[in-house]
Amino acid sequence: MTEATPPTTTTSTATTRGGGAATGATAGSPARVAEDTGQGRTTIAASVVQKIAGIAAREISGVYAMGGGVSRAFGAIRERIPGGGTGAANIAGVQVEVGEKQAAIDLDIVVEYGASIRELARAVRRNVITAVESMTGLEVIEVNIAVNDIHLPELDNPEDLPAPVVSRVE
Amino acid sequence: MTDTPARPDPGAALVEALAAAVTAHPAVVRLDGGRFGAVATHLPGRRRLVGVRVGEPGEPVEIAVVLRAGRPIPQAVAELRAAVAALRPGPVDVTVSDIALDPALPGGGPS
Repeated sequence: MTEATPPTTTTSTATTRGGGAATGATAGSPARVAEDTGQGRTTIAASVVQKIAGIAAREISGVYAMGGGVSRAFGAIRERIPGGGTGAANIAGVQVEVGEKQAAIDLDIVVEYGASIRELARAVRRNVITAVESMTGLEVIEVNIAVNDIHLPELDNPEDLPAPVVSRVE
Repeated sequence: MTDTPARPDPGAALVEALAAAVTAHPAVVRLDGGRFGAVATHLPGRRRLVGVRVGEPGEPVEIAVVLRAGRPIPQAVAELRAAVAALRPGPVDVTVSDIALDPALPGGGPS
């Protein structure tokens, strides 16, 4: 799981509105926001990166859940606490380190049975890097993925099983 | 908190104008106190305006916001910085404390 990921710097094609943003050095460029531009610093909190990474990882089909057993259990409890919010569910299984210009992300995921874990991890990593880099402007230096568990559909619901092959020939 | 409400504070109007300008941006959900709640201005009349801090002249203006998820943060930050700098020229430190998720988005909860 250590294949080199190409630095996918997605060029932000968003048009700057009005023209007020044109004064900002970072306005149209996909460059790092967090750097000191002489116009002030930009700080992006770790929870921002956590949420974006969590959502991006869940977007990949084959990711059943995020987090290890313990954090999933706590997440389920936290959701029921007022103020714990649904945000807590989004950051389960996501640890981040956010610096001025870079971010490192660790993910704990539970995969669906039947997904190629290697391909899944690659897809998750690609999506997380793209999402975090385009949304925050931080450079993602690494995404470490730990596959904690595999989810077997028949444990939940027999209807989730793939339909049995009825017959090959008529 | 030694100021009395009766004494007009020229800074208060500026801070309130800054707060209004920041809140008016479509990407901003609300102002926030930053990591330790330190980004705030103490106004006369025992009011505390969280999310905007205007320092002494020459110091950067600090703002801390919660942004809406789903749009690039750098662009929103650049626009906020421009909006604040238009009212009070100088550097602007922007803190994105959190993002607010739309529950309709994928990943709003573990199904």
